[in-house]
Amino acid sequence: MAPVRRIGCLLVPRFAAAAAVRAEPALAGRALAILDEARPGRLVIEANAEARALGVLPGMTEAAAQARPGALVCRERVPPQEAAAQQALLEVALVHSPRVEEAGAGEVYLDAAGLGTLFGDEPALARRLAARARVADLHARIGIAGSRVAARLAARRAEECVCVPPGADAAHLRGAPVALLDLSIEMARRLARWGIRTLGELADLPGHDLYERLGPEGARLQAIARGEDPRPLDPWRPPPRFEEARELDWALDNLEPLFGLFAECAERLAARLEAQALSADRFEWSCRLTARFGESPRIVEGAFVPPVPTREPRAVMAVLRATLSAEPPPAPITALTLRAHPVRVAASQEPLDGEGRPSPRTLAETVARVIALVGPGNLGVPVLLDSHRPDALRLEPLSAGGSGPAHAERAGNAFILALRRCRPPRPAQVRLIGGRPVHLRADGLAGPIVAAAGPWRSSGDWWLDRRWVFDEWDVELADGTLGRLAHDGSAWLLEGIYD
Amino acid sequence: MLEAFPRGQLSEIVGPRSAGGSSLVTSLLAHATAAGELVALVDGSDAFDPAGAAAAGAALRSLFWVRAGRRLDHACRAAELLARSGGFAWVVLDLTVDPTPLAVRQTAALHAATWIRLQRAVRDTPTRLVVHASRHLAGSAAALVLNVTRGAARWMGAPRPTRLAGIGSRVEVARARASSPGGAWEIAWRL
Repeated sequence: MAPVRRIGCLLVPRFAAAAAVRAEPALAGRALAILDEARPGRLVIEANAEARALGVLPGMTEAAAQARPGALVCRERVPPQEAAAQQALLEVALVHSPRVEEAGAGEVYLDAAGLGTLFGDEPALARRLAARARVADLHARIGIAGSRVAARLAARRAEECVCVPPGADAAHLRGAPVALLDLSIEMARRLARWGIRTLGELADLPGHDLYERLGPEGARLQAIARGEDPRPLDPWRPPPRFEEARELDWALDNLEPLFGLFAECAERLAARLEAQALSADRFEWSCRLTARFGESPRIVEGAFVPPVPTREPRAVMAVLRATLSAEPPPAPITALTLRAHPVRVAASQEPLDGEGRPSPRTLAETVARVIALVGPGNLGVPVLLDSHRPDALRLEPLSAGGSGPAHAERAGNAFILALRRCRPPRPAQVRLIGGRPVHLRADGLAGPIVAAAGPWRSSGDWWLDRRWVFDEWDVELADGTLGRLAHDGSAWLLEGIYD
Repeated sequence: MLEAFPRGQLSEIVGPRSAGGSSLVTSLLAHATAAGELVALVDGSDAFDPAGAAAAGAALRSLFWVRAGRRLDHACRAAELLARSGGFAWVVLDLTVDPTPLAVRQTAALHAATWIRLQRAVRDTPTRLVVHASRHLAGSAAALVLNVTRGAARWMGAPRPTRLAGIGSRVEVARARASSPGGAWEIAWRL
């Protein structure tokens, strides 16, 4: 016995308006008209229910729509916002089923067969899909049936969720108009000439005669009208990166509102990543700047790699804040984008003695909170650079997945005297007698020098512009403090304190 | 000596400048990381020298270094977060600062509740939390306090020194909740 086919449809009506509300939550509940992209005499291409209540309909000019009584908000269509909303809808479906098909703007199908053990019966699955869509800031209608057309019809007729019982597709479709089949103009005209207006009427036609007159296409349409849908789902695969964008009707010239908009994008990205149990190991941002007269808009962009893969909005915002505060965009901003490169952080086995590394999730959350405190770039695993320059190092992300004994980079002497470095080296005043330092004065440190050894010359990068030369001295002050001084050819510096 | 630091408790290493406290911390980092343990170092004064730690045998890839930018309050908060996560075998909070007016003000501004919070953060975790400071800060929140006192510096070369050879330190257990105080170690640090 062949398994029963069940298809779920997630349908977001008036999708362009829904995508605009998702990107700009303040528009929720307001009469909203979406205009086609900028050109003279812009037309309304979509109006939400509140706008329709004011008499605003697609095809009106912007001026005519604005002339209707009532507070109407007009927004230009923003393809990147719609793409982000579409992807969010697909991800909602993908969380519930491995087979998902993208059918158009605001329309997604999923294979709903065999999900009962995971999510309960079909009404429960439908309610869960609707709830997850709401989490993604989309109000989707859900239909579940045995075929795509029946599921789409169910979703269109639903307030929120409608499930057509198995085997009842044909009866469910009988009264629906044939326009539901996305007919070609010629086919629609021919069926209209025959007086076929509903799917029930199409389903009742003799199949043999229909094939003779309309060919294979006619047979296919009739099968769909009868609730038969043999074509498998065309699977959708998530793209290699997640993206959230925001287009502005006004130009932002202040950083704080910009941070607020980026934070909204980061939170939406986090919700999408969390829905698929993913984190991100790289984030990219870009801002489109206001164009000067006669020039095309300029884009400023950047990228950063978090110390550990994360989806924590606070961590992302800590880095963005620091980056943009250090180098603000040179002109007002009209659009912004935030992208995340997803990675799946593998679960790691905890060792029996409980002394393992932190779980990636715990580590990511902790690091995110520490970043918010100390700023990005101030934490990580130190890596020594291949240079004799003092304090030559960089910080790398901490690997959460590693385990087992770590080996020292080289065998060391555990009883080595540590140097506490001054970063940057502290300017010092040093008095010399006979070429040897006898008195030191620096911030927080002053006194006669009772013993000194040096100078020890170190130099490097002499083949580059950034060559360096230091004459180093180890000194002991009268109070017992041991320090390292350096003379760079022009001034004395306190490099550090031995402790 | 590593075994003296209790798990799930706050310990303190106290010593004046150039007494050897940082060398003791570096030695601790070297032993712990070489044994495969993950160590977080919260550096309140941005003074840690990774090259020196590597020379002491530390496995730097097991060392998570947080540079708190001379904000001692942020350093304490970061150490609290790291200790609370429970995933680090050691969390070392370095609050040793030079006696500049700003640093002195910051140290004085640390509230007594800070140490209680730190002690509670590490409680019931397998983490050892170690605070290194120039003076005793943690009060009764510290389960172990090690006092590091300065010995004589050793110079090579006579009559005029040509090289610093090292220093001597005496490490004494000033307070130990689990055992009686009084233990002491003499350590010779070599440059």
